[in-house]
Amino acid sequence: MRSVFLRLDEVSRTKQAKVAWCTSVGPAEILRSLGFEVFFPENHGALLGASRLCMETIPVANALGYSPDICSYLTSDIGAYLKNITPLTKAYGIKSIPKPDVLVYNTNQCKDVMHWFEYYAKEFGVPVFGIHSPNHLPEVNISHIRHVVEQFKELIVGLEKVAGRKWDEKKLVNVLVLSKKATDLWSEVLACAKAKPSPITFFDACIYMGPIVVLRGTQAAVDFYEQLLEFVRNQSTAALPEEKTRIYWDGMPIWGRLRSLSDLFKTHRSSIVASTYCNSWIFGDFNAEDPLGSMAHAYLKIFINRNDAFKENYIRKLVEDFSADGVIFHESKTCPNNSNSQYNLPNRLRKKGIPTVTINGDLCDLRCFSDEQAATIIEAFLETLS
Amino acid sequence: MKKQSNIFWGVDCGSSEIKVVALDDAGKLIHKCKTRTLFPLADHVRAALKGKASFPGPLKGDEVKAGHFIAITGYGRTHIDFIDERLTEIKSHYLGVHHQLNFEAPYTIIDIGGQDSKIIEVADGSVKRFVMNRKCAAGTGAFIEELAHRLELKLGDLSKLEKKHDKKIALNSYCTVFAATEVIKILMNGEKVENLIHAMYESVAKRVLEMTSITTDTVVLSGGVAEYHPALHGVLRERLGSHQELILAPQAQYCGAIGAALFVKDNLQKEQNS
Repeated sequence: MRSVFLRLDEVSRTKQAKVAWCTSVGPAEILRSLGFEVFFPENHGALLGASRLCMETIPVANALGYSPDICSYLTSDIGAYLKNITPLTKAYGIKSIPKPDVLVYNTNQCKDVMHWFEYYAKEFGVPVFGIHSPNHLPEVNISHIRHVVEQFKELIVGLEKVAGRKWDEKKLVNVLVLSKKATDLWSEVLACAKAKPSPITFFDACIYMGPIVVLRGTQAAVDFYEQLLEFVRNQSTAALPEEKTRIYWDGMPIWGRLRSLSDLFKTHRSSIVASTYCNSWIFGDFNAEDPLGSMAHAYLKIFINRNDAFKENYIRKLVEDFSADGVIFHESKTCPNNSNSQYNLPNRLRKKGIPTVTINGDLCDLRCFSDEQAATIIEAFLETLS
Repeated sequence: MKKQSNIFWGVDCGSSEIKVVALDDAGKLIHKCKTRTLFPLADHVRAALKGKASFPGPLKGDEVKAGHFIAITGYGRTHIDFIDERLTEIKSHYLGVHHQLNFEAPYTIIDIGGQDSKIIEVADGSVKRFVMNRKCAAGTGAFIEELAHRLELKLGDLSKLEKKHDKKIALNSYCTVFAATEVIKILMNGEKVENLIHAMYESVAKRVLEMTSITTDTVVLSGGVAEYHPALHGVLRERLGSHQELILAPQAQYCGAIGAALFVKDNLQKEQNS
């Protein structure tokens, strides 16, 4: 990760390459195939959350007119931009985030990313392109795919002007093959948690997922996940050797509380063995035979872009596959799209025999999180499962 | 030789008060006391565990004396070291209620605490599910305390005054601060304070009952707020179904502490039997 940020910093300062900002499940492969170095503001939001710098930056964006109720990645990040601070300074000595030459978002996850990127397009005076995906789909059909492929084609025309070069489909195929390899390896790493006791937990996966977000489409990501898979498979000890309970986590991580929550689960010998969030970067449908079509398919098919019936079946299957004893829903105040407890899903799962509980919190904004109350709810839930 | 008798202490370290009970080997309540939750917390828990001249407490310094066992529950549970067991309020209220009422049929416990409220569904002798209030103070004792403070009334007088209400008015806000604003406006309009108090209890009942649907025929109230605000029973009763029976748990304020004492007692007995 260090080399990713140092490279981005270098090209931004020296103008060796063009920098594109992209949403985390946006068409990063297209950007890489045109030679862009890619920066992911959501990753920066997560870093602001994990470092808890966000608690200084969110109020700045709120004061500007961005509501405390909207995406706290957005408010963390815009506040950091306005204060001219970044956690990259302490971590890697980087003064500021790389300036974009172009911004590309995909509304397959939410519409907040559109508002977020449009703000920066005005600030930096650079073009912004959006892929407007059909949302909340029961099934992904050919008309949905065609609709997105047409938008990819328009995007490529726009990006060629910024990049100053013609797009070459062969280059996309090469990038997509690397993306597919990395995402398959990531899927295998996560699947290791099916073992009892599990060798990794959600808290490990929240760290290990960095490269699948910011480096997919590169050899570096493939190399990292090959090594990680070998490491996890050969690990002689379990994450929690005396594992008493196994949990499925739905919703965003609470980035500023990874350590304390990890300690809480460790105390109760409970492993979070699977999650909606870490599985969100598995794109098994990438196919070099049909690069744009398969990208459209994979990016439309993601969990967050599906209807509740799909989500219910998906969680039930993972609970079964990973032998989870129950589901903890994190209802994130500023991320309703990633909070699946709001339309009665916990009760529906409970009726199917899966114990559930909901905690209230947020991905970044710790004003929305009560440590004591969340700990009591989690402990009481684990008591009922033991 | 006569078997050495043990004493099992339960401490419910809540946000407003520390409740302490002692049970004998048979699970009979032999001592109870309470004190305000003040800080440093450990000093006040030690003081609450002091017992009395005829019934000394379980501690010698920070050591638990032989034959004494202590379990702690409540928000302060993770901050006290001189104990044998810890458990959550959900489990302790269930154990305390279940021990005293011993219902076989499924039932629901409503525990309205100083800063949180819980609904606990019990079936087949265990907790089937539970929910707690969301982040804010609405539907908790803190809401009642805030409005009593605004109205300059003693907490103990509220239920008596509520009996004199002659009109239903509504406090709509989720938020305690906004509800206090509503109260001021209603008072400015010349409303009787008795009607306002009734509205306050109704607001607590609404906030609690909207946490989840209660389907059991029996509903048990536990916790200090239920014990000290009889008016709350009336408004909750009105909002439950006609087939549902509402019961105030015996020793309602001490149910959590009793459950904690039972927990350490049962664990010791399991250990001895294994």
